[in-house]
Amino acid sequence: MLFRRIYQFLIVYVLALAGLMAIKYTVGLSDYVIPGLELIRETAGRVASGYFFDVMNTLSVTVLGQLISIIMAFTVGILGRKSSWVGSFIKVMAYNIQAYPIVALAPIIFILLGDGFLSRLLIASMICYFPLLLSVLGIMAAPITDIEHFYIATGRMRWQLEVKIRAFENLSKLTTVIAGSATLAMAGTIVAEFIAADAGIGYSIRIALYQSDLAGILVALFMIGIIISIYQGMLETLGEQMKTKWSAPKGGELL
Amino acid sequence: MRFECRGLTFTYPGANRPVLENLSFSMAAPGFNAVFGPSGVGKTSFARLVAGNGKQGSGWFTYEGISTILYSYNQERLPGWSSTGSHLDKVCPPGKEGLKQELIRIFDVESLMSSRFSQLSMGQQNRMNLIRYLIQDFDMLILDESLANVDEALRETIILAVKQIFPDRLFLYISHNLTEVARFCRDILILGHGENLVVRGRDYCQGYLPDKEGLDRTMLEIMNAV
Repeated sequence: MLFRRIYQFLIVYVLALAGLMAIKYTVGLSDYVIPGLELIRETAGRVASGYFFDVMNTLSVTVLGQLISIIMAFTVGILGRKSSWVGSFIKVMAYNIQAYPIVALAPIIFILLGDGFLSRLLIASMICYFPLLLSVLGIMAAPITDIEHFYIATGRMRWQLEVKIRAFENLSKLTTVIAGSATLAMAGTIVAEFIAADAGIGYSIRIALYQSDLAGILVALFMIGIIISIYQGMLETLGEQMKTKWSAPKGGELL
Repeated sequence: MRFECRGLTFTYPGANRPVLENLSFSMAAPGFNAVFGPSGVGKTSFARLVAGNGKQGSGWFTYEGISTILYSYNQERLPGWSSTGSHLDKVCPPGKEGLKQELIRIFDVESLMSSRFSQLSMGQQNRMNLIRYLIQDFDMLILDESLANVDEALRETIILAVKQIFPDRLFLYISHNLTEVARFCRDILILGHGENLVVRGRDYCQGYLPDKEGLDRTMLEIMNAV
């Protein structure tokens, strides 16, 4: 899973780079517009280690933001799973708020909280929260009738059991959504760093942009891609292990 | 104990015709009773109406001496996160441990206790599901094809054992097996596209002596009523 993610990213990156080179040499663009491979290699040697730590800085905010959004999405998803008015209200709110581009709210957050860690964290968690919430809401609000019937009929159904049944039955969906939300959280953090921050890879890309340093940006994109691939691969592996541990037969024979 | 239904009509939302129309009958004693009829005549709809599973038809039911009604069906699943034995332990009410063990033996599922539900065959799954219903407190249990995919010999053992262990409970057995219904059930409600009526079955119990002629007569009566 992990290696597949990495080589898939490498294929995409190399193809994109090849496309850029094709444009450069077909149209005859200078290194100033699209840098040559030698310039990219040279820039990579110069900035790679600094960018690596910048990406790790961004990733730390991403992981924390994602964690917060997962906790929030599950809390609200569990509360909103019922067909009562509270559940309906939460669902309607979630569907309507997620239609609004959260990035557009970023300037307000920066005005209120200023540059720095909290603003980045808030934007990262908000951007990955809503898609997560909609998935969790959908999963938690859909009854697994053929399992739940017995517990309802015998008066044993508790909210914890209901959540456990629905989460277990949709484990694959949940792990996919959580792994997928990592990219969103990373995007949120980078966007926050683009707008107004003084750290992270987004901040470094902004500086490279002001210097029209496309080679630097390409190196940054490589760093982001490779690290997010590793992170997503790790999340997916973790999800697989969780699924195996939770649902794989323990004892007993296949009959 | 008495279970009576008067003038029951039920139409699915958006349907042109009612699936059940002016259904009236009475079952006045505990034991194994059946609902029989071809596919699509409303057996499951009727069962769910009796159990009150979110459907409401016109007409009314009278339950005398029946307060707890459970409805089991053959596509139910046990959660997959632990073994079937562990799930049975969790839902076994206090004081019913002996009954549970006895049913596990009769239903021939001792060797399946450490297996996950998804590992079992359909027949094994249905037996496991039925055990957890039988160890609950109930006055009336609806078995909607609950013994489907169970081999015939074991099905007979199970039905006869259940009749013996729970002589004071009312069972409503839904099955497509004409012979089985005719042999083991007392009152058989025939649901058809025409008139609905109740036919008296042979109601065989443990140690019964087969009465081929009588059984053939009952089966013929049921077939004529369908």
